Amino acid sequence: MAVCLDENCEGWRIMVGNNPRSTARIAGHPIHPMLVPFPIACFVGTLLTDLAYWRTAEMMWADFSAWLVTVGVIMGCLAAIAGLIDFLANPLIRAQPPAWPHVLGNLLALALSIINMLVHTRDAWTSIVPTGLILSAVVVLILIFTGWLGWSMVYRHHVGVAD
Amino acid sequence: MRVESSIRQTGRIAVSVLIGTAAITLAACSGNDPDPGRQIGPNPNLPEPIQYFFPPMHLASVVGWKNDEKPTVAQGLQIQAFAHGLQHPRSLYVLPNGDVLVVESKAPGGEPIKRPKDLVMGWIESWVTSGGDSGPSNRVTLLRDADGDGKPELTSVFLDHLRSPFGVALVGSDLYVANTDSIVRYPYNTGETKITAPGTPLTALPGGPIDHHWTKSLVASPDGSLLYVGVGSNSNVAENGIEAEKNRAAIWQVDRATGRSRIFAGGLRNPNGLSWEPQTGALWAVINERDELGPNLVPDYLTSVKDGGFYGWPYSYYGQHLDPRVMPQRPDLVAKAIVPDYALSSHVAPLGLAFYTANSLPEAYRGGAFVGEHGSWNRTRFNGYKVVFVPFSGGHPSGVATDVVTDFLDKDNKARGRPVSLAVDKTGALLIADDVGNTVWRVTSAGQ
Repeated sequence: MAVCLDENCEGWRIMVGNNPRSTARIAGHPIHPMLVPFPIACFVGTLLTDLAYWRTAEMMWADFSAWLVTVGVIMGCLAAIAGLIDFLANPLIRAQPPAWPHVLGNLLALALSIINMLVHTRDAWTSIVPTGLILSAVVVLILIFTGWLGWSMVYRHHVGVAD
Repeated sequence: MRVESSIRQTGRIAVSVLIGTAAITLAACSGNDPDPGRQIGPNPNLPEPIQYFFPPMHLASVVGWKNDEKPTVAQGLQIQAFAHGLQHPRSLYVLPNGDVLVVESKAPGGEPIKRPKDLVMGWIESWVTSGGDSGPSNRVTLLRDADGDGKPELTSVFLDHLRSPFGVALVGSDLYVANTDSIVRYPYNTGETKITAPGTPLTALPGGPIDHHWTKSLVASPDGSLLYVGVGSNSNVAENGIEAEKNRAAIWQVDRATGRSRIFAGGLRNPNGLSWEPQTGALWAVINERDELGPNLVPDYLTSVKDGGFYGWPYSYYGQHLDPRVMPQRPDLVAKAIVPDYALSSHVAPLGLAFYTANSLPEAYRGGAFVGEHGSWNRTRFNGYKVVFVPFSGGHPSGVATDVVTDFLDKDNKARGRPVSLAVDKTGALLIADDVGNTVWRVTSAGQ
């Protein structure tokens, strides 16, 4: 429950029960957690369809992979922008123990995914085997780690939570 | 509609991301494309394949020909426009009475978008379509220059409402037109300037919905009993699945009496300019080889085509050089892949071939082959965009290709035109279809 203590609401932060506040939000709802499911689902999907192509050499799976990794990169960039705004605008968020590894890990995953997207523009077999498949797997491993940290930020450290 | 526009929007976003990153990648690895000169002739230098993060797409933007501009010709020759203002002229055929048929043709369109890459490449290619292409195409225009002065007295729409036509062949009074999806026969009497009779389909050819290489080159056997048709592949290197390549990347032999067909030769990615070599009577063609393996891979080539021959695509190139992008491989086919006769260097995109058997051009050109090179998109420094001459002796290439008609690109590397098919008219002049300059050029001996 947020209540303004003074005319300019300078006491806002204190009154949200010490919950670090999100800056990029819509109607009080932080944007970053709304967007992150898209790149996570897309990059996990890319790994699955990469594996399917590797085992079958059926081009349909490679086409799926190319769409998934591309949409993942686009949505990942949007999620990164919202996340970076929260991270840079509020020192209380930067002060959370999981914050730095979460940010650096996800930026690395996004950079690798951009390279992976370009690898997936090649034609047929080498669009996936072996470079694309390896990159997709590395990105998913990073996301398990950074995703865990992200969930800690919300569920344990109450970042952006409005109670 | 909404879905389409949002797909297009997604495409635009993808484009900016891709181009931004591609620029970084390119800056790192393109440098100067080495000189393609070592790739002309029977034993081309073949470097190791390069796998790009994003292939170099370097297309010449179109400026067209200004009033009195024309291509440059080799010494001893001169060039004039035979006809201007055509609609994407792609191929030429000279009738026995000297009338010239100009096949004006456009890509069938509707190639499905299977990957984000198709969106991006289609978008970049849309910057460089031919100048002034709003008018009607997919027709054959007849040009009559009865007095042979290089200025047609009569222009007539000979056949209209065709489906992306390319090849034409006349046997007796049967005129065959190869649309992208079928060979159609029309009755023709000498001197006619327009055919109104409906065509009779002879044989269906592989067409859409993908129809990636859509030009169907056509030539009749010397005795007139058979037709040979060039059918290009449905992809760069089978990335649309090998099932999409059924009966493609091949030269078909079609029985003229029944329409029955068989594969005459396979593994030819995009064969065009089917022609009979005058000394040996062998079938020759120019072939567009695969892209995206580097600025100097794979050299396009000029080759004799052997009955039952397999030339590698998509599994290998120049014999047994395996393409890493093709899976599953076919060692049985690779083992018998024939090394082509004569490399023209990489990405020149040969689409026209004409053996010179007339005698009005200088002596040096007699018996050899002219090749129309439409020009590269897949290397940083342009290659092709010219007509070259390959000397022949004893039925085989006998020397280095020389430039005959050049400067289709201007000084700023913008395309004034691009050569496609070639033909020799009844006076012995060389005709060149220029589909970007919308012109047919006529090359004669200087001083004629």
